[in-house]
Amino acid sequence: MPRLVLLLASLKLTLVTFVFLGLSVVLAYFNEVRTSPWLVLSLSLLSLNLLAAIATNPYFRRQVPLMVFHLALLAIVILIAIGRLTYFKGRAEVVEGEAFTGDFVEIDAGPWHPLGVEQVQFINLGTRIRYAPGPVRIGTENLVGWINDQGKPEQAVIGDHTPLIRHHYRFYANWNKGFALMFGWQPNTGEALRGSVNLPSYPANALTQARQWSLPGNVQPIWAALQFDDEPVPENGGEFRLPQSYKVVIRHGEQRWEIDAGQGGADIDLPGGRLSYLGLRTWMGYQVAWDRTMPWLLGASVIAVLALAWHFWKKFAQQPWNA
Amino acid sequence: MDLIGELRILWVAVVAYVLAGSISIFGVLLKKRPERTVLGLMLLGLALHTAAIALRWQRLDHGPFVTMFEILSSNVWSLMLAFSIAYWRLPSIRPVAAIIMPILFTMMGWLMTVSPGETHLPPTYHTVWLFIHIGFGKVFLGAVLVAVGLSGVILLRRDGRADGWFSRLPDSERLSELSYRCMAIGFVFETLMLIAGAIWAQDAWGRYWDWDPLETWAFITWIIVGISLHARLTFRLSPRLGAWLVIGVFVSAFLTFFGVPFISQTPHQGAV
Repeated sequence: MPRLVLLLASLKLTLVTFVFLGLSVVLAYFNEVRTSPWLVLSLSLLSLNLLAAIATNPYFRRQVPLMVFHLALLAIVILIAIGRLTYFKGRAEVVEGEAFTGDFVEIDAGPWHPLGVEQVQFINLGTRIRYAPGPVRIGTENLVGWINDQGKPEQAVIGDHTPLIRHHYRFYANWNKGFALMFGWQPNTGEALRGSVNLPSYPANALTQARQWSLPGNVQPIWAALQFDDEPVPENGGEFRLPQSYKVVIRHGEQRWEIDAGQGGADIDLPGGRLSYLGLRTWMGYQVAWDRTMPWLLGASVIAVLALAWHFWKKFAQQPWNA
Repeated sequence: MDLIGELRILWVAVVAYVLAGSISIFGVLLKKRPERTVLGLMLLGLALHTAAIALRWQRLDHGPFVTMFEILSSNVWSLMLAFSIAYWRLPSIRPVAAIIMPILFTMMGWLMTVSPGETHLPPTYHTVWLFIHIGFGKVFLGAVLVAVGLSGVILLRRDGRADGWFSRLPDSERLSELSYRCMAIGFVFETLMLIAGAIWAQDAWGRYWDWDPLETWAFITWIIVGISLHARLTFRLSPRLGAWLVIGVFVSAFLTFFGVPFISQTPHQGAV
């Protein structure tokens, strides 16, 4: 047996790699970049050590459950590596009554992720979020609709513990939601546009319900704020709702406009075109995840723990506890 | 029954535990064997504590999983249950109660100082995986606690007087072997706890792992348990060194279970 393989199979090396892995996990915990070279190196070293030990240590051939446990551990490390290379994680916001068109607020994906999120389409048909006094969120129910593979319309209520799963992308709707100001933009030349300005998540950012954005072809940004005295999230419990009485404040340079609730269609002339306020709606936030290794990881983990329990059971059955 | 009634029952339970612990400590010091009384008081305390938790559960319509008071109370209950089973089934190690009970007294004292205030169960906690995850975690901590008791005896035996107090217990090699068994059970159940936690996290927050303080420290504890089990095999450690490793695991597990809630608003950061 080559000396290097024997060295790699050493139990002492296992201990060293365990300590190395522990330190890498602590480093990853305190750093923003989680998948650090230290973590990759420690897991690679542990895998090599496991592989060499399984191949050379005769103890594993005598102890089948222990071998199965270590093989399952090896499979878990390999699956995590595949998962990190191919995963997709994103955050999207979809206004009530509008369709998800593949736009994300945040995206984080592995280098080998086979992009396919553009195949996913659904409409946010409305959200019901219940609160207990406090207020404390009790649950989120978000109605979504889509066209299935047979071309027929389908609807489902998603929310806590119930994601929408389309083309292996999982859309989780839970606490993240807010208000959206709907606007139309008619440029002096060109086609009219319609869109929304999603205000920061509510009630997490209750005191900062404002956002700045730029209109197409307009260099100077526009600032819009929503002001209200209502309780969209009732202090004594109830459902999240749109404020009944509110004011939308818009600023462009030194100019300032105020639009009251119910003034949908109010127009503001700006350099380059006309901005129309169309109304107030809610937006729903979705946590999006894609990781095809998940069922395999679960399978490998269950095999690992069953094999470990089997190994200890066999070992301890040889001598009673009360001997 | 209201909060006051629930707390009265809990306090009576704590008194029963303290009496059981005190009698077992005096039993070791005076080399007496009040084992039936100790077991009886532990079981009485457990019955009353179960009633207190059940009443709170019925009143709030959720289990003891959210506030520090609930986490401490349910852990004192599960640790007492784990130790009572060991006390009942393994008569030869009963004097370790003199080491384990003071650890539990500390937790009971802490429990008495935190607010028993009420709160709602976050929507992400409405899942069977919460019970499975927490159940596995409690078995893990219970097994480690018994191992700590055995390890404490091994470490105290260096002192001549303490050696006399624990002379009725098996030799340190045997205690070390039993502590290894407890750690092995703990390792299996901590692995199960991590798997169940990952399933719950995927189900509730759309990720099975997100480096939140509790999951990270639970994994670090898992690594430390792995190191301690491997070290025994690799170096054929002396009972004393093995005992120190068990103490290390317990400190890590204790900080994970009861220290992390201090740096995280909910048991799992972002849980709501």
